[in-house]
Amino acid sequence: MEFKKNNKVREELIFEKPITSESANFFSTSLDEIKEAKEFIPSKFLRKDLPLPSLGEPEVVRHYTNLSRLNFSIDANFYPLGSCTMKYNPKVNEDIAQKEEFIFLHPYQEEKYVQGALQIMYELNKILCEITGMRQFSFQASAGAHGELIGMLIIKAFHALNNDKRSKVIIPDSAHGTNPASASMCGFETVVVRSTKEGLVDIDELNKKTDDEVAAMMLTNPNTLGLFEEQILDISNILHKKGALLYYDGANFNALMGIVKPSCMGFDVIHLNLHKTFSTPHGSGGPGAAAVGVVNKLVEFLPVPIVGKEKDRFYFNYNLNHTIGRVKAFYGNFSVILKSYAYLLRIGREGIKRVAYNSVLNANYIKEKLKEYYTPASIRQCMHEVVFSCSKQKNKGITALDIAKRLIDFGIHPPTMYFPLIVKEALMVEPTETESKDTLDRFINIMIAIDEEIENHPERLKNAPLTAPVRRVNEVKAARFPNLRWEKPGE
Amino acid sequence: MADIKFTKTHEWVKIENSIAIVGITDYAQSELGDIVFVELPSLGNKIAKNMPCATVESTKAASEVYAPLSGEVIEINSELNNNPQLINESPYDKGWLFKIKIANREEISQLMDKDIYKEFVEKESR
Amino acid sequence: MSYILNTPSQIEKMLEEIGLISLEELFKHIPQKIKVKELNNLEERKSELDVLSTIDKIAKKNKGTNKFNSFLGAGLYEHYIPSALKHLLYRTEFYTAYTPYQPECSQGILQALYEYQSFICLLTGMEVTNASLYDGATAMVEAVLMSLRINKRNKIIVTKSVHPEYREVLYTYLRLQPYHIIELPYKNDGLIDKEALLNIIEEDTSCIIIQSPNFFGLIENIEEVKRSIKDKNIILIDVVNPITLAILKEPKEMGVDIVCGEGQSLGGNLSFGGPSFGFLATKKEYVRQLPGRIVGKTEDVEGNPAFCLTLQTREQHIRREKATSNICSNESLNAIGAAIYLALLGKEGFKKASLYSLNNTYYLLTKLRDIKKVSFPFKGLVFNEFVWKIENAHKILQQLEEKNILGGVALDKFYPELSDCILTSCTEKKTKKDIEDFIWNLKKIIK
Repeated sequence: MEFKKNNKVREELIFEKPITSESANFFSTSLDEIKEAKEFIPSKFLRKDLPLPSLGEPEVVRHYTNLSRLNFSIDANFYPLGSCTMKYNPKVNEDIAQKEEFIFLHPYQEEKYVQGALQIMYELNKILCEITGMRQFSFQASAGAHGELIGMLIIKAFHALNNDKRSKVIIPDSAHGTNPASASMCGFETVVVRSTKEGLVDIDELNKKTDDEVAAMMLTNPNTLGLFEEQILDISNILHKKGALLYYDGANFNALMGIVKPSCMGFDVIHLNLHKTFSTPHGSGGPGAAAVGVVNKLVEFLPVPIVGKEKDRFYFNYNLNHTIGRVKAFYGNFSVILKSYAYLLRIGREGIKRVAYNSVLNANYIKEKLKEYYTPASIRQCMHEVVFSCSKQKNKGITALDIAKRLIDFGIHPPTMYFPLIVKEALMVEPTETESKDTLDRFINIMIAIDEEIENHPERLKNAPLTAPVRRVNEVKAARFPNLRWEKPGE
Repeated sequence: MADIKFTKTHEWVKIENSIAIVGITDYAQSELGDIVFVELPSLGNKIAKNMPCATVESTKAASEVYAPLSGEVIEINSELNNNPQLINESPYDKGWLFKIKIANREEISQLMDKDIYKEFVEKESR
Repeated sequence: MSYILNTPSQIEKMLEEIGLISLEELFKHIPQKIKVKELNNLEERKSELDVLSTIDKIAKKNKGTNKFNSFLGAGLYEHYIPSALKHLLYRTEFYTAYTPYQPECSQGILQALYEYQSFICLLTGMEVTNASLYDGATAMVEAVLMSLRINKRNKIIVTKSVHPEYREVLYTYLRLQPYHIIELPYKNDGLIDKEALLNIIEEDTSCIIIQSPNFFGLIENIEEVKRSIKDKNIILIDVVNPITLAILKEPKEMGVDIVCGEGQSLGGNLSFGGPSFGFLATKKEYVRQLPGRIVGKTEDVEGNPAFCLTLQTREQHIRREKATSNICSNESLNAIGAAIYLALLGKEGFKKASLYSLNNTYYLLTKLRDIKKVSFPFKGLVFNEFVWKIENAHKILQQLEEKNILGGVALDKFYPELSDCILTSCTEKKTKKDIEDFIWNLKKIIK
């Protein structure tokens, strides 16, 4: 008999379970007879066998229920993952998304039967335009990176239409890896601009590097250090003067919603992550959605269709003169769009500002209480997230990774590690606005206790996590000897 | 004793008459972490100085290896296919990547000596 | 209520403890002139009940396929979703978790995705797959980008019988890059034109994309296509509907190099087109070219089996090569949903879902063949959908709608040359009566 710590017995692979039931009776046929496939299709087109498991419903339910219990989630654990905005996912939004009037809509139904869905997209567009100052949004992107791609394609098409051969995109050295990847995918060359010692964009260097070949700059504000780029108007002037556009990576919009509109900062194209700022669940890594918004002169480049309204009727508008085309089949991740809309209705005008106020307060509270123990990456005031450098701890032999893994033992999901790349031994903490002072105090006390453990019990950190369902996972072995799927023994 | 030189992109080169042996430095391997995969150039490939010609992958990052000198690839260290960790364990010896037939000896003077490279690394890591 | 927990007095206390007087102070370093004065056009917050009734009013303007006798397919299909699936998938430990970057506290997600990867490999016969992509269209694009990276050639051949919206997405991604996309027209019988294919293949051809069953529902002879391009080092990409793989031969067995497609038919809702997920599976030798997240099985320090995300450096790696992929997210929850669907249905149930769809489709097809005014532009083998032709097709569809029947998708908006053609699909959810209602009403309308 094997026992694991916490009595969590390892769940076998579903393929390793012995057969428990051979006939699943989820649906029946009303035809007089069911013919075998070979009656319709010659055997050369047919497979010989189907090696799927045969398990009864109770067994399958137990399997996935037990798997679920091995995970941390925002509902159960404090999850201060920097840059991910792990805020509470309102349950009413889930009920709304499951309504049959939404889940049974086929995208090829006539417009007259999907007016409600079109209205949702239309209304969300209106609200987001009001919050951001953009003129029109597209909801086709499935994720932030997907939204960035749309943004880059729009920028490229805009310049191409003006016969402007601009080949470069400027990106700060603190940027997230998807930024340059998205730019490269459109054939742009990335030009990196340094951050100052204080962690902001180096304006002088930006000035030097911005020339007539620059198509755009991609910027996150607050940046990935959690700092507000105070010279944002200078930045946008530099770029606009040279005929370049400014792209807003809205991953950090939670800090500014209702306080500053991206349009007022000079941004021409933006993307917002609906699964971050707008509370839709992360779903273990997806689905998400990005809303890509543009200023007036770029509307005609957006992916088609967008939703228009004529009198009382909503319709799909495919008439954008210079559309970049589709980036996805159909119209976007509709249920994610729906949940964002419901969220914005719920929190309303006042709620939007309160989100920014409280997310920034919570991050600064953590920063002030921990700055004696963990060195903040910048002396400047942070916004909704704070980056610590664990270099003090590293000098004593403990890395950011060790600290992160030890947090798991306390039921707290680790903060983002080793990002941004310009900070050594970085831990990025984003509490969001949906956490109480009590939770924050607990986190702060645990972080302080962990710091003390470095002196007294460093082995606890080096070997952490001690109480999780598995101990520290050998990721090097996984990469050196990839085992990416189950294979029947003997194969 | 073979003459060992360095590049700004953290490759080392050992010159043995007309052949150059190429690898990545100890600094490079420690920055990368545990190496999990190596992609080497094909035999016979003609590579130009500063051209990316190989890739070294760790769990944290995948890094390009840039040719320190121009030449033709005449031998590759296929031991690394099964044991990429040799680069971590022995970056200057068992962890060599590939050998080339030097095309232009004048390029050698553009490489850094051991002491200059050491200084360069110290400045970078500050 | 913004789901904010701190009371005003707690906020005051926190401000005090960090040496501030008001919340506004946190934003004082932001230039005043860019700050928002008023969000005039937004409504005040609503109570939960008010949100529900507001959205309820809007929802009532929708009429989904559950209120019709629907035969719509064309890329998204209405299969039966077992109740248990939703209960499992909507356990908060799955849907409110994040990407499993910290494996020690995400083993459930990782194992579920590893099992999903295994299921896809079992269905397609392929050796490796990733933990899902955004959808079928972008999965197809990723397959092409992979192919371009693998053989470093320039030309892409795609048959016109591949889903039209997938082709549009491919064009969007690639038209600003120096690649050539050649669309191969279909033959009179709706299948791939092998002679024409051989004529346009060049040394510079990187890949050929074929869909089977294709957009018209026809089963292509992939083995023949493979034979004709053998030894040319051209990558064969096959777009498939996974539900058909319960019965149809594994693409691997037919010589396909990369399989991709839309996963919605595996337990996903229609949901007006999203979210769903795309899958991409291929040979072991291409594993390092596989985009997106991948779960691997390994061990922890005590030697116990454990899972983690692996081969991740291809995502963050910003190579300066042409057409690097930036797709790194996935549709985790939907992929896990597909695994749960396959686990619940199991070998017999999944086969039934596919076999009943096949039987229902042929039952409808046979009955339609008896109607004189109905013709069939393509006469090949079909699986779960087919194309039929009738004069004034749009009017016919409209009249069927009035009888509460969604007869199919009119094809002229995608293929102007196929006027009066309709694409109609049956899943296992169709009953004998549904099908006979369709026929009976159609006959009445025609008279």
